[in-house]
Amino acid sequence: MNLEIGPIFRAMMRNKVGAMLIMLQIAVTMTIIANGFSIIQERKALMARDSGVDIANSFHLSNVSFAEDFDMQTAVIDDLKAIRELPGVADAIQVNAIPLSGSGWSMGLQTEAGDDIDGSGTAVYMVDDHALSAYDVKLIAGRNFELTDLRWRTDNTNDWADVLIATEALTKSLFPDLTPQEVIGKTVFINNHEPIIIIGIIDKLQAPWSGWNNLDHVMLTPDRLAFRGNRYYIRAEEGVRDDVMKRVEETLSNRLSGRMIQGMESMEETQRESYTGASGMIKMLTLIMIVLTIITAMGIVGLASFSVNRRKKQIGTRRALGAAKNSIIRYFMIENLIISGAGVIVGAILTVGLNMILVQAFSLTPIAWYYVPIGMISLLVIGQIAVFGPAQKASSIPPALATRSA
Amino acid sequence: MLTMKDIKKVFRTDLVETHALRDFSLEVNEGEFVAVTGPSGSGKTTFLNIAGLLETFTSGSYVLDGMDVSNLNDKQRSKIRNEKIGFIFQSFNLIPDLDLFDNVDVPLRYRGFNSAERKKRIEESLEMVGLASRMKHLPAQLSGGQQQRVAIARALAGEPRFLLADEPTGNLDTKMAHSVMDLLHEINANGTTIVMVTHDMHLAKQAGRNIFVRDGRVSELHDVSQSEATDAISA
Repeated sequence: MNLEIGPIFRAMMRNKVGAMLIMLQIAVTMTIIANGFSIIQERKALMARDSGVDIANSFHLSNVSFAEDFDMQTAVIDDLKAIRELPGVADAIQVNAIPLSGSGWSMGLQTEAGDDIDGSGTAVYMVDDHALSAYDVKLIAGRNFELTDLRWRTDNTNDWADVLIATEALTKSLFPDLTPQEVIGKTVFINNHEPIIIIGIIDKLQAPWSGWNNLDHVMLTPDRLAFRGNRYYIRAEEGVRDDVMKRVEETLSNRLSGRMIQGMESMEETQRESYTGASGMIKMLTLIMIVLTIITAMGIVGLASFSVNRRKKQIGTRRALGAAKNSIIRYFMIENLIISGAGVIVGAILTVGLNMILVQAFSLTPIAWYYVPIGMISLLVIGQIAVFGPAQKASSIPPALATRSA
Repeated sequence: MLTMKDIKKVFRTDLVETHALRDFSLEVNEGEFVAVTGPSGSGKTTFLNIAGLLETFTSGSYVLDGMDVSNLNDKQRSKIRNEKIGFIFQSFNLIPDLDLFDNVDVPLRYRGFNSAERKKRIEESLEMVGLASRMKHLPAQLSGGQQQRVAIARALAGEPRFLLADEPTGNLDTKMAHSVMDLLHEINANGTTIVMVTHDMHLAKQAGRNIFVRDGRVSELHDVSQSEATDAISA
């Protein structure tokens, strides 16, 4: 089989404006598609991070008192007792903030007391001894809170509890060289000078802010909250979450007056909202990539169709000189392969260049090396598919056209 | 070399049926130089297209170089065109983006020759038409006569046994036309069968035999004597 690469290339070089434009279009498309795909994968990986909690079966709600004489301490104890007794409820806690909800508390922990010591940022969840069960997290070292650890925190409380449970990620940042077992009993400092002892380590739990660098840094403190407003976090048994949500809302609404039950939301929804920006970017980038691919494919079809129309007599002559139909198809496919090949080579260089700029400017993850060859092959395949129609049309030009007047 | 018997060619549209050739019969022997003449619309070009396997025909039979080519598929017809027939077109039909070397190379590539064989044949055929020194020129850099010589070189490079020429001097001035006709005679003298379609009776007289086509039929056969041909050439 004779591929005619040399003559095709030489002929193209004598008439290169259209080919150059398509080559550049392919290069730009590849650059955007490869980098866009890399960003999408990075965002998807962020969204797929393990939250540590039982997202599918958990939900939360707000409990806000408006009556002046509302007794929040009693309400919390009785509410939790009532909720935990409801059928389908695995466990429930009162908490100051919800993972991935976008609002919460953060503090700095340090291993030595002092004003000028760098701390490790961490989210703070104030919970009771049911937290590990409600979150469905695993205790990998130490112990859970006991009733004797618990205390009431009011608006006037300024100090911190004596003990905490931390995520493994947080203890690794504080004590990178120690095993979880060795961390148990260690004292860390909050507010620069206030000591707290680490009594337990859990495998995983996420902070309220999905875009935060320390997303996996979480500490639990044994605080019951006597604020005017607080939240309940409830985990239902497998598959009955929606029924339990209705039951909890009814139970709390009917139990007491002088407060509002509001903002009931599943953790699935909370997680989804937390990544609205990321999923929006994924959709936008996907749309841009699809539109660009279509425009490029149309450009290839347009150039090839123009080329076929311009060269009808030439094609007829080639047919007269012995070119079979598949030789004509092959001619246009190879011509496109040369244009696309140059385009993807330039595109590969631009892809890496743009990625370096993006990494530097927006702290993105560097593109995985294999996106470049995958992008190149994809664009080559798209080019071949796009040119096939015009090539087939060219092959149907009859050889007798060679003898007709121009 | 070429035997056509009762060839019919009908072009049909929704409204009209046009009989381009009717019971067209012709025999051309190996080594002959035949000129086909006739008025516009007589069927000359249709005959040339069918003879060169550029078009199929409606009925009849056609044997080329001992092979019945009446019912071949497109691929088989392409192969025969490439191997057995050389074409010379009125407007040369050179590919403007290719230099002379690559233009002559076109049919040889379809033939599947290796690059050394192709190079040898291209150089020899361009040498034969006196353009070996201009291999890297583009067609637009040559005169009409030179372009037709390149087209002849392209037609001959594959060493076809049968050369079909469609008004080969139609776009040339008298001097260049003479030069091209001299070349065709030289080719014919080397044993290649030539069928030339022309409306130019003076040119036709230079062929060994004239065929006059009217209304899609061969209406007159006329053998040109050696003296007539010589007179015509030297005129």
